[in-house]
Amino acid sequence: MDAKVNKTLTITTPSDLEIAMTRVFDAPCHLVFDAMTQPQHVRRWFGCAEFDLPVCEIDLRVGGAFRFVMRNPDGVESTLQGVYREVARPQRVVFTERFSMPGFTSDEYQVTSTFTELGGRTTLTTTILHKTRENRDGHLHSGIETGVAPAYDRLAEVVATMA
Amino acid sequence: MSYLTDWLSTMPSDPLSTTFAALADPTRRAILARLALGETSVTELAEPFAMSLPAISKHLKVLEHAGLILRGREAQWRPCRIAPVSLREVDGWLGGFRRFWDENFGRLDDYLEELKAKEAATAPAKRKVRAREKQRGRKSE
Repeated sequence: MDAKVNKTLTITTPSDLEIAMTRVFDAPCHLVFDAMTQPQHVRRWFGCAEFDLPVCEIDLRVGGAFRFVMRNPDGVESTLQGVYREVARPQRVVFTERFSMPGFTSDEYQVTSTFTELGGRTTLTTTILHKTRENRDGHLHSGIETGVAPAYDRLAEVVATMA
Repeated sequence: MSYLTDWLSTMPSDPLSTTFAALADPTRRAILARLALGETSVTELAEPFAMSLPAISKHLKVLEHAGLILRGREAQWRPCRIAPVSLREVDGWLGGFRRFWDENFGRLDDYLEELKAKEAATAPAKRKVRAREKQRGRKSE
């Protein structure tokens, strides 16, 4: 029997400007790479359970653009869009990206993903490089991508249930 | 790839795991709830619990180690208070970035299983068949 794949998502902050995440997938490199870079695949998993993904466009080449629009149940849309800087299927992809929602547009940040295959499994390492520490921290803590309530609302609930 | 291995080997142990382990105990959560109201002594903290002082001290040590509470340095009266930064971190991670990617990658896992099955069914290139036979051989050992 194969050893069970450890699918824990590891998130670290290697510098003041970066977020790094690593995750192992039980599939070969080319499948993971394609699943993350081809719209017909991305549509199948990316977003949030309760969100629609009305726009999912990817022009996978250096200088090519991508755009994902997520729509929450209230109809509020948020957008992730950017431009590919490096494309080396199935090992590496680099792109710049910004996030926007009504009343907020982030600064641009750079995302570098590497895919390494070993024994039919792929380790994905993604590094997100921000221009300032404030932007980096905002990305980590705000929860803007899921559109969840501000962290403190839930903290209040957590404390209430502790008593 | 040395970048990856270097980075993996220098990674700190996961502080959030320690935090969650500390929060998993109802007595420790009750202690935190009490401390959320304000700083207090160990003796005062122990009062509502049917527990000895050493037992309470043990719980406090776990909470302190997880960075959830801060304790004064005075030998006799070591006031305890909540460390809000740490709790905020737990909540931030849960609600934001981590939750988003955990959910997405979970769905990607399922979808990759579909892709693997499809590939196995539609593209039985010689090399792949051989690779699969090899793997099957290994599995049956």
